[in-house]
Amino acid sequence: MIEVEGLTKRFVDKDVVANVSFFVPEGEVLGFLGPNGAGKTTTMRMITGFLPATSGSVRVAGLDVARDPLGVRARIGYLPENVALYPEMRVEEYLRFRAAVEGIPHGEVKARVEEACDRCMVGDVRRQLAGTLSKGYRQRVGLAGALIHKPPVLILDEPTVGLDPRQIVKIRELITELGREHTVILSTHILPEVEQVCRRVLIIDDGKLVADGTPQQLRSGFSGAAEINVQLDAPDAEARAALEALPGASNVRGEGSGKFRLAVDGSADLRREVFKLAVARGWVLLEMAQTVPSLEDVFLRLTTHDAETAHEGQLEEVANA
Amino acid sequence: MRKLFALVQRELLAYFSSPLAYVVLTAFLFINGYVFYLIVAFLNNPSVQAMAPLKLMFGGTIFFWLYLLFVVPVITMRLLAEERRTGTLEVLLTSPVSEAQVVIGKFLAAFVFYLFLWLPTWVYVAILASHAKIDFGPVWAGYLGIALLGSLFLSVGLLTSALVRNQIIAAILAFAVLVVVFSLGLVENLVTGAALKGALGYMNLWSHMDDFAKGIVDSRHVVYNLSLTGLFLFLATKALEASKGR
Ligand SMILES: Nc1ncnc2c1ncn2[C@@H]1O[C@H](COP(=O)(O)OP(=O)(O)OP(=O)(O)O)[C@@H](O)[C@H]1O
Ligand SMILES: [Mg+2]
Repeated sequence: MIEVEGLTKRFVDKDVVANVSFFVPEGEVLGFLGPNGAGKTTTMRMITGFLPATSGSVRVAGLDVARDPLGVRARIGYLPENVALYPEMRVEEYLRFRAAVEGIPHGEVKARVEEACDRCMVGDVRRQLAGTLSKGYRQRVGLAGALIHKPPVLILDEPTVGLDPRQIVKIRELITELGREHTVILSTHILPEVEQVCRRVLIIDDGKLVADGTPQQLRSGFSGAAEINVQLDAPDAEARAALEALPGASNVRGEGSGKFRLAVDGSADLRREVFKLAVARGWVLLEMAQTVPSLEDVFLRLTTHDAETAHEGQLEEVANA
Repeated sequence: MRKLFALVQRELLAYFSSPLAYVVLTAFLFINGYVFYLIVAFLNNPSVQAMAPLKLMFGGTIFFWLYLLFVVPVITMRLLAEERRTGTLEVLLTSPVSEAQVVIGKFLAAFVFYLFLWLPTWVYVAILASHAKIDFGPVWAGYLGIALLGSLFLSVGLLTSALVRNQIIAAILAFAVLVVVFSLGLVENLVTGAALKGALGYMNLWSHMDDFAKGIVDSRHVVYNLSLTGLFLFLATKALEASKGR
């Protein structure tokens, strides 16, 4: 449905998006991740045709953005990063305007506006001037505008920013639902959101694509796999030596009062071995938990360049892992 | 067509819901009223030669030109600059409307608003008509001249609004370009070469308006205004295409 090939955008002398290629099949919800300034918005703008690419090509539903911009525009619904509405228009008027500009026949406009209002939960502000809306409502009106013409492709740049927790849940449900009939690309900084709604994830860093796969694939492909946290009622030095001796364990770190963290190589499950070890030595096992890498770990790992810039403990950990 | 209509409608809504529209309208009424008073007082003086008051009204005084040079940039400055600044342009130009449609829609809305500004001047026509028999030929021709001149000026303003994202800068730029377009023809009186004089005379907007106000509809004047309008609208479309996403 969306084919991006060798897409590059150069601003001044920096490639803000560098040779990015990917394919999104019909009916997929694709999550677009990356740190601030990675080039997500720039890529999305090139897909919509709002920004011309320096090189490379984008095809939406078989149409080349550079050759048939209007054809592509008719097939996408776009929610920009900064949702801007016309302040002097009432929400309803705005949605009717969007519908007319999308070429929806006059007779259908009313029903479409109704439907979009319902779906994005903006019915209660339909008579309000867009300029007086709160941030979250503005976001939802923008979304309503983006899907008013039921486009085959939806491009949503941080759709849940500024929404309250209840709305976030509802909008995620909406996106999941939309994903059944539409192809969706969304960018976000909220990693649990990606796991919830996206079948596939792209991670872009400094303009380059650094990961592409399902959330599960990304997690399992993450070297350094799982970690075990244990707390043993045992002398620290002895316990450390015993843990290090376990086959498959590495990078054992003591955290005091019998607490240890150890990395597990490959796919081995060391929890049984740790338990047996404790029994054999007569140590009491106070606590044991295995942590699998989260998408967050994968994200931090792939997008952290410099241990010095990693201030938080979590970041440092990933850097030494 | 329906898309264009929606664009024009939205733009007109924006005009009439902004205080600017009413300020411009009030100033316009005030200045026109003042000029009308001056003209009537002037013509009442027995020592001056009899002239048609409406002829003076339409381009016969410097007030007319000053006002147009100021007010047109104010009408057009918002059109594209504001959409770019707030970001609404991003939605508009990712909808299935072409850049040309956007430019034409904005132009038509500005033109309708401009004509609306002139509507109250029919009161003066009515006042004069109630006191004397007036010839409506020159009146219609005068309004035609005003419409043509307006379309040319508005297209210049639209172009500068497409070039920058700051409304005030767009207005100042438009004013500067308009002063050049307007004074180009006036240079006619300063040069001697016949060919140059002819060319500049062709561009002399003041004498265009003079002719229209006399009731002369010269097709060269019409062509000049319409072709320049077309040129500036074309340039505005190109500017919009080239500056997307910046
Ligand atoms: N018009 C422009 N001129 C110059 N540089 C630009 C322009 N637009 C964007 N950039 C640069 O391109 C880079 C990528 O920006 P982009 O907005 O795509 O990032 P992003 O991934 O969307 O970030 P965020 O998570 O903060 O939204 C940034 O370094 C930004 O400064
Ligand atoms: Mg962004």
